[in-house]
Amino acid sequence: MGRFAEPMTRLIDELKKLPGIGSKSAQRLAFYVLRSSDADAEALAAAIRDVKASLRLCSVCNNITDVDPCVYCSSATRNQRLVCVVEEPTNIAAVEKTKHFNGVYHVLHGCLSPLHGIGPEQLKIASLLRRVENGGVDEVILATNPTVEGEATATYLSSELRRPSLRVTRIAMGIPVGSDIEYTDEVTMLKAMEGRREM
Amino acid sequence: MALKESEAIVLRTYPLREADLLVTLFTRLEGKVHAVARSAKKSKRRFGGALEPLTYVRAYYEDRERQELARLDSCDVLESPLADEVSYSRAIALEHVAELLDELLPDREANDAVFRLTLSVLAQMQHEAFWMPITYFELWMTRLMGYLPELSECIVCGRELNGDRAFFHALADGLMCLDDKRLASSEISAESRAIAAQMFRAPVESFTGASWPRSSASDLRKFLLQTLQRHIEKKLVTAGMLEKM
Ligand SMILES: [Zn+2]
Ligand SMILES: [Zn+2]
Repeated sequence: MGRFAEPMTRLIDELKKLPGIGSKSAQRLAFYVLRSSDADAEALAAAIRDVKASLRLCSVCNNITDVDPCVYCSSATRNQRLVCVVEEPTNIAAVEKTKHFNGVYHVLHGCLSPLHGIGPEQLKIASLLRRVENGGVDEVILATNPTVEGEATATYLSSELRRPSLRVTRIAMGIPVGSDIEYTDEVTMLKAMEGRREM
Repeated sequence: MALKESEAIVLRTYPLREADLLVTLFTRLEGKVHAVARSAKKSKRRFGGALEPLTYVRAYYEDRERQELARLDSCDVLESPLADEVSYSRAIALEHVAELLDELLPDREANDAVFRLTLSVLAQMQHEAFWMPITYFELWMTRLMGYLPELSECIVCGRELNGDRAFFHALADGLMCLDDKRLASSEISAESRAIAAQMFRAPVESFTGASWPRSSASDLRKFLLQTLQRHIEKKLVTAGMLEKM
């Protein structure tokens, strides 16, 4: 790519490292930055710098935060005895959208993935066990993904968390609201049957 | 181009662009096929749980002109690993099978023997006893890929090993007698060699029921993985995970 000036090549190379950005997109973005105002370019650079400088992991739940402990862990109105375990920080937003969960979180930063060489040591599991060990937790909700690896993670955690005083639950898997049973695949249907409740 | 239909086993998926998935399938029709599942990440409705590793599916796909990657149209689940409880050890065993198939099979070359082997072994991986089906799968894969040396004679002097001690080495292409073994060789017991001989004569189902602790034929598995890894010239990620299990 010798046809660009060195600073341009550098920017394109950096942009190409972003997920989903190929050579073409990187060039397009780089030219956009080049054409934008000095203030806009400066704001972009500052935003990137600040996100690294001011964000860190919450020392309690491993959520990404600018204050430690994070807003959930330091909230006086949230039930600190109810912990929802998720794979990624972005999963928290999905639970928060329900506006019906008033507990706190624990972010694993991944799931058990033998094909990628990710075992229990690579996830934030030890800190979850410590949280439970220190008392103060009544229930752990396992909200990992309904995939082979998410299930393996939930099964693993449920056995590691087994204690007489602790309730461990798994979120239900089943048919999406507003869909039709006729078009539900057999695994989902099976899981929906397993997760049925008394009425 | 025409839509192809084939039974298939999902080996692995990789995220591709925004919402697409790159899927590696082991199809009965033409072996290992790489295909793009459009919008599979966003719209789970189209593929549901069908793209989870080791799901046995009926796949519908089409080749695209001048493109290496096929387009995956849809998948019907025939048998899902999620139907039974997925423990961590079961996930390792399942993904070990996926990794072996992915690494050992060439692209677009049907192999019905391996396909049938995989289905029969997967059927034995529904519960917690994995070491037997894993051993069976590794042994047969090594043989079907043409990498298995003669287990009954020394590769150096040609002497019959039956009844005698036998050794293997990461860099040697077969077993050696006590006199010819290299430095830092490992021993493979007569018992494990007998298990291998039995496994070549009987289907995997006939080995269920007997207790199979991790220690059963562990020397045979070590020999097989060394042999396979020497041929593919890389370490298998799941082999390391099995070791730590
Ligand atoms: Zn927190
Ligand atoms: Zn010899």
